[in-house]
Amino acid sequence: MSFLTLVDISKTFGATVAVADFNLDIEKGEFVSFLGPSGCGKTTTLRMIAGFELPTTGNITLDGADITFQPSNQRNVGMVFQAYALFPNMTVAQNIGFGLQVRKTPPAEVRRRVDEMLTLIHLEEFASRYPYQMSGGQQQRVALARALAIQPRVLLLDEPLSALDAKIRVELRLEIRRIQQTLGITTVYVTHDQEEALSLSDRVVVMSRGRMEQVGTPYEIYNYPTTEFVASFVGQLNLLPIANLDRDARSCTLAGQPIRFEHSGDRPISDTPRLAIRPEEFWLGDGQERNLLRGRVETLIFLGAIIRVRVDIGDGVLISADLFNARSLNLPRVGDEVLVSFPVHACWLI
Amino acid sequence: MNTPTPRAKRHAQTLWSWFWILAGVLYFVVPLIATFDFSLRAKKDVLTFLAYERIFTDAAFWRTFSFSLQMAFFAIVVSILLVVPTAYWIRLKLPRLRPMVEFVSMLPFVVPAIVLVFGLIRVFSGPPFRLTNTFAGTNVLLVAGYVVLALPYTYRAVDTGLGAIDVRTLTEAAQSLGAGWGTIMFKIIFPNLRVAILSGAFLTLATVIGEYTLATFIVGNKAFGPYMSLIGQNRTYESSSLAIISFLLTWAFMGLIQIFNRGRAEGHLAGAR
Ligand SMILES: Nc1ncnc2c1ncn2[C@@H]1O[C@H](COP(=O)(O)OP(=O)(O)O)[C@@H](O)[C@H]1O
Ligand SMILES: [Mg+2]
Repeated sequence: MSFLTLVDISKTFGATVAVADFNLDIEKGEFVSFLGPSGCGKTTTLRMIAGFELPTTGNITLDGADITFQPSNQRNVGMVFQAYALFPNMTVAQNIGFGLQVRKTPPAEVRRRVDEMLTLIHLEEFASRYPYQMSGGQQQRVALARALAIQPRVLLLDEPLSALDAKIRVELRLEIRRIQQTLGITTVYVTHDQEEALSLSDRVVVMSRGRMEQVGTPYEIYNYPTTEFVASFVGQLNLLPIANLDRDARSCTLAGQPIRFEHSGDRPISDTPRLAIRPEEFWLGDGQERNLLRGRVETLIFLGAIIRVRVDIGDGVLISADLFNARSLNLPRVGDEVLVSFPVHACWLI
Repeated sequence: MNTPTPRAKRHAQTLWSWFWILAGVLYFVVPLIATFDFSLRAKKDVLTFLAYERIFTDAAFWRTFSFSLQMAFFAIVVSILLVVPTAYWIRLKLPRLRPMVEFVSMLPFVVPAIVLVFGLIRVFSGPPFRLTNTFAGTNVLLVAGYVVLALPYTYRAVDTGLGAIDVRTLTEAAQSLGAGWGTIMFKIIFPNLRVAILSGAFLTLATVIGEYTLATFIVGNKAFGPYMSLIGQNRTYESSSLAIISFLLTWAFMGLIQIFNRGRAEGHLAGAR
């Protein structure tokens, strides 16, 4: 049996269905992210694991015991909040030691453990500072240390990096992963940032409107999205209208130009199927086993490492192609006629 | 050429600001100075602190003052123990009730003290309470009345203090670390409300110490308010000196609030950044 299990969990607030049909098994030591747009029920699910909300239906078991109705202060589950939530009246050391003090741990042991945590988060010299004397990134490290000091069975993080600057965010993201790996702690991480979810997690749960859309490794989620929502929420995606679909021959036309495809997705295809291609699959020019499209450059957006080209391929269909920015790249100009191509195996029907 | 330059305009604005500040200061200070001056004229043709001396050597002054101080102390303790958990719980669990509770806390401003005191006496003199039969009983009644009178101040101060911290998240953080309600209340909520509680306490003290209506009807001349009133009716110069003394006391309380505020304000404004 898995370490943390959510069975048929749902939660309604009055008429709002915040979470429905949520089923998930998390292994010991696993890092799982809930990824989805704002309001999709990520926080609510996390809060049910923490014990701050009671599920409307379903059960949660942790380490073999049903904790559905256990009060939050008896669950031994660490929580990190977006707003840090350090106790303003306590120093860093007191914050980190709080959970141990509540457990009546002997003072010497509390001190030892606080020092250990301070070393873990590289803030040894900040022990006697107050939260307001520290930057957001430092405060969040302390919040992490405070949650970990009690040696929780599960670590829960609710958008812990959302309030921080981009640079600190990436830094702290690596830090969280490092600490999680060091301690081998089972972790559930909530975020709306796909990059965070993909880079941190062993598995990602993509959520939309209170439901699980797909569960899988970051690789599976990105390369084999099973629903249109996942495909378009995680990464960029061209969804293009097709005609003359012949499933047996695996061919169709796109803006009058012939297209071949290899697989048609795992799910039954909708009544108005569309062709899905990631922008990074495109090249300028032709190649082996590739579908060729002819069009005119409409816009060029310079994004640094990537140049996003939008090509009008006729019938009002626009494709978005991400070209890797290398010096050898022979960049077209707006209005130029171009040939772009993508691998036959890289497109699928949704 | 007659339109004033922006610089001249700014200059005129500054002058007017100073004028209004000065007018305000005069409005408050002149009566004070006059009272103070009058209080020094207990002897003909010389300035003297005789009136102050007489007050400070009056046993009744010390007796009534310390009595009222005690009443204030109990009123403060009771209102803190009553108001802090209530305001906390409302913010945490019943935020929709907040406007209503705020309205209720304002009632002492609407209901005149004289109405309140007759209500108290009517209800609590008969069975099953019979509070007016003993000294202890009347003291309890007075403290209870003061808790009500101070409610607008204590509730406001505490509620504002709670607004400055993220009550819900801090509570949940503490819970996830294993804390129960008692620990949350005494280790997290009370310490973070120190300034708010002190402001409420000093405002209560300032209100209660010279309170007349409740005191005179419930405990009579034992309290400082009725004593001041008595002096005011019978002793010309002493009444002025007493006014100055109580004024200085009030200001001392206010000053203390300011000192505590400054000491801790920084820490309180730093929430999530
Ligand atoms: N305490 C609450 N009362 C009423 N509705 C709520 C409450 N908490 C969350 N919701 C609703 O539940 C849905 C999911 O919210 P939430 O779990 O916070 O989403 P997320 O964290 O993914 O942004 C939203 O529609 C939100 O408005
Ligand atoms: Mg959320």
